[in-house]
Amino acid sequence: MTNDIIGARAGFRQALAAEWIKFRSVRSTVWTTAATAVVPIAGAVFVAATGSLQDDDTVIGGSLTLAVVAQMLAAVVGAMTITGEYGSGTIRTTIAANPGRATVVAAKATLVAGLLYVIALVSCSLAVLAGDALLPARYATGEPLPALFGIAGSFAVAGLLGLAVGTLVRHSAGAVTTVIGLLLLPSLFGPLFGDARRWIAGLSPTAALEKLTQTSDATAEAVGSLGPWPSLWLVAGCTAALLLVAVGALRRRDV
Amino acid sequence: MSAGGPLRSVGSMIEATELTKRYGGRNAVDKLSFTVRPGRVTGFLGPNGAGKSTTMRLILGLDTPTAGRVTVGGKRYADLRAPLRTVGSLLDAKGVHGGRSAHQHLAALAASNGIPGRRVDDVLDLVGLPADTARTRTKGFSLGMGQRLGIAAALIGDPEVLILDEPVNGLDTEGIRWIRGLMKSLAAQGRTVFLSSHLMSEMELTADHLIVIGRGRLIADTTMRDFIRTNSRSHTLVRSPEPEKLRALLEARGWGVRLDPGGGWRVDGTDATAIGDLARDHGLAVHELTPAHSTLEEVYTALAGDSAEYRAGEAASGKEAVR
Repeated sequence: MTNDIIGARAGFRQALAAEWIKFRSVRSTVWTTAATAVVPIAGAVFVAATGSLQDDDTVIGGSLTLAVVAQMLAAVVGAMTITGEYGSGTIRTTIAANPGRATVVAAKATLVAGLLYVIALVSCSLAVLAGDALLPARYATGEPLPALFGIAGSFAVAGLLGLAVGTLVRHSAGAVTTVIGLLLLPSLFGPLFGDARRWIAGLSPTAALEKLTQTSDATAEAVGSLGPWPSLWLVAGCTAALLLVAVGALRRRDV
Repeated sequence: MSAGGPLRSVGSMIEATELTKRYGGRNAVDKLSFTVRPGRVTGFLGPNGAGKSTTMRLILGLDTPTAGRVTVGGKRYADLRAPLRTVGSLLDAKGVHGGRSAHQHLAALAASNGIPGRRVDDVLDLVGLPADTARTRTKGFSLGMGQRLGIAAALIGDPEVLILDEPVNGLDTEGIRWIRGLMKSLAAQGRTVFLSSHLMSEMELTADHLIVIGRGRLIADTTMRDFIRTNSRSHTLVRSPEPEKLRALLEARGWGVRLDPGGGWRVDGTDATAIGDLARDHGLAVHELTPAHSTLEEVYTALAGDSAEYRAGEAASGKEAVR
């Protein structure tokens, strides 16, 4: 036995393997991830069935109406990967097994971002295909490619934002509330800021998502005139910065 | 398990040097220095709130010391290449997600240190958790099963050092006996076994060596045998209708005389025979003459006496009190 484990080490690869086992062995993360995958497709079918699409909208924008909701779920998934550990006390087990706290967060981030990217890419592509098949031909199609890759990326960013907030807040309810607030409030309260609205609303991952889906809601005055891709890079950058702050906090704090 | 396997190097000591941890203006651990050696069970004794759990978290690198340092096998915990291979731990709060099965919990732990997955079945077998139980969610586990899972997790990497915080807390007698036997056999294999308890009676039966702390400070660091010899003093209880006369006689012989809380005298430095003879020689009636020992429990309570008072004050601040 002893000889078998001589090569043992606790690095990034091992942390990632452990995170994957932990992720798929708890119902909350599995079901929320499943919901993230289902919601965009259900949204496309719903919009087509009710004929609720506005005339100036595109097939891709209409099909991905509920992508904003799915993106919130993605953020919740990200938050839960760490708040679940604080809630159950497994964070101490995890950190004792791998004292490299930055490594642990990096593994969680890789898992969350990779998984959500793939799931969102598949789910949103299916949603667009469903919308294309079900919606009347009078709507413009829009340009699904390469936008779908960016859309998937915005889900990954939302998940990472959730992870960063979860690491800082350490409590499921608090983290979920905070991260949904971060996604929603900019566009809700943006109008209060007058001319600054576009800057404030434009900083939310939701803004990047809306621009990428080419929905008619994503007007320049609502979410800023920054193009879809620069918008995505901007929120990705902000999220990366917050994640670094979160890693710093985790390394500094006692667990 | 490596039972029958090669004995490991005897270099895996836990060494704390002037270890200090400050919480909210109070030292939960105060300049604590001690060494835990391999090949024996070292008991870590102190009343609740004395700083035992904090010290263990400091060893595991979960908390950062305010001052001083602690190493395992000469290295800081954070510098261990595969920590679970060197140190297995069971903390007060067990750290298992209720929604996960025991098997999955152990599999994730094994994966985190690159330990082969089949080791999971080995440790489940070792702690006596049946395979079908190990596949169910741990939420429904009894205290005893949870504790067995915690020990399985501690043993997953076949570690040289075991750190267990109150491992017998809440267990039934069968579970307690099992843990005792396991600790002793692990120590006999040459491992370093460090376990905490707030109960002297528990330590008396399990530990070979004792580290006693109170208010975060070291009170005693000694072998169990020495601790018993130096601290478990015997005396003789004697009761007489003429207590003052008796006391004068006893003190004239140079024996120590104290008032017993229940009335009568506690006499040190002699035995019942000598006292009985002395009383008869002077025509004094003796109504009771009993040889007595102060128990280890009493000694420990006396040692830790002022630490206990500390508990009420600590409830407001210390992390320990919250757990």
